[in-house]
Amino acid sequence: MDLGPFEADNTVSCRLASAIPDICKTDDCCLGIDEAGRGPVLGPMVYGICFCPVSKKDELKALKVADSKTLTEEQRESLFVNLDEAKSFVGWALQVISPNTISTSMLQRMKYNLNALSHDAAIGLVQFALDSGVQLKEVFVDTVGPAEKYQDKLSQRFPGIEVTVRPKADSLFPIVSAASICAKVARDHAVKGWKFLEDLGKVDTEYGSGYPGDPKTKSWLLNYLDPVFGYPQFVRFSWSTAQTLLDSNAVPVHWDDDEEDGEKSAARQNNTSMLSYFNRTSSQANGDQSSGRDAHRFFTERRLQNISSL
Amino acid sequence: MSANNSVTTVQLGSVSQAVELPIHFLPCEIEHDGPAEVSQYFTSTVKDRKHELTVSFRGRGLKGQEVNCPEGYTGLVLKQVHKPSSDQEDGAVKVSSTFHNLTYWNLEIPPSTDDGVVMAMAWPKLADAIHGPVED
Repeated sequence: MDLGPFEADNTVSCRLASAIPDICKTDDCCLGIDEAGRGPVLGPMVYGICFCPVSKKDELKALKVADSKTLTEEQRESLFVNLDEAKSFVGWALQVISPNTISTSMLQRMKYNLNALSHDAAIGLVQFALDSGVQLKEVFVDTVGPAEKYQDKLSQRFPGIEVTVRPKADSLFPIVSAASICAKVARDHAVKGWKFLEDLGKVDTEYGSGYPGDPKTKSWLLNYLDPVFGYPQFVRFSWSTAQTLLDSNAVPVHWDDDEEDGEKSAARQNNTSMLSYFNRTSSQANGDQSSGRDAHRFFTERRLQNISSL
Repeated sequence: MSANNSVTTVQLGSVSQAVELPIHFLPCEIEHDGPAEVSQYFTSTVKDRKHELTVSFRGRGLKGQEVNCPEGYTGLVLKQVHKPSSDQEDGAVKVSSTFHNLTYWNLEIPPSTDDGVVMAMAWPKLADAIHGPVED
């Protein structure tokens, strides 16, 4: 699997796809959706789709694809080779969502949560298959959030396609197993070959599983913590594991949309309390206005001030 | 502060030795005063896509723009060399670096001419129009 296009810019999301088999453009097809790397605090999350003609379901089954979680890395690699060899009737596409995209989306002013991000990635991939001419009739997907709601969302979005959202779909439907293998192989490659944009010298690649509970992952996070910048972009800042470590080991950073206690933030910004207006004295007027008058809006808007002392 | 009689001296002689360094103006308050690994963690991750600068800091997306100092002006970064122990004592600062432009970063939206720092750069020209000598 060639992750070149993602590695060229691993700060954003990237779509990778196989060639579309000709038979998928003429025959009714089924399509499976699955994801890899949803839980880890490190690296990208990968959404994958796999599709083949409904008439070829048995041939797909004969490739012995199974849920990627029950397989070893070597087994997944060799099954991916099998899928690639079946390219006359099996196609796939992936959406690699960079950890930086995950962080900045989840921490956006208008929060864009992981479920919404996941749904949109899945919808985007199905639309890509349709746009590529795949004759989609059936879609199978593992659940993200409540199954019924997700099924309604997908059915409404793609009228005329029979959508099945089912927990454990990756072990029930071979086409979903195939998608899970593509996604997991891409995620493994992306993590293993991660090119740090940060200038960190030789980086220790003993990340562990990337899951917050893994002691190896935790000690890696501590080793690569910078008191000012926090972490390299490989880390999902929006994970509570990362936030907790930053809270106790990095310097505090305040944004104007922080939800913090009003009084505390006022004190920090040197704002005057409402009560102070009742006992205002002349000495409270800002030292930089000799006349004691407030500066004109023109200056305050531009944050321009006369300075007579530091 | 109004009772403060001390004088802060800017050691202007230090301008000639000061180096020109890149400046990044971030839309947040960092509770840190000292050196930081800017080139390792920040500058190296800045992306320039279709003339739009993007980067992230602490997992938040920033968009940036180069802002030039007003013509004829130089930006100075001052460093305290003598901290007065009381408000009667005089202090001194030296010029640690200079700049003629800075990268202004906004949270998630691109900087615009409505942003304070961008607008502030027009003040010297306006000040000159108001206070400068009138020519025939």
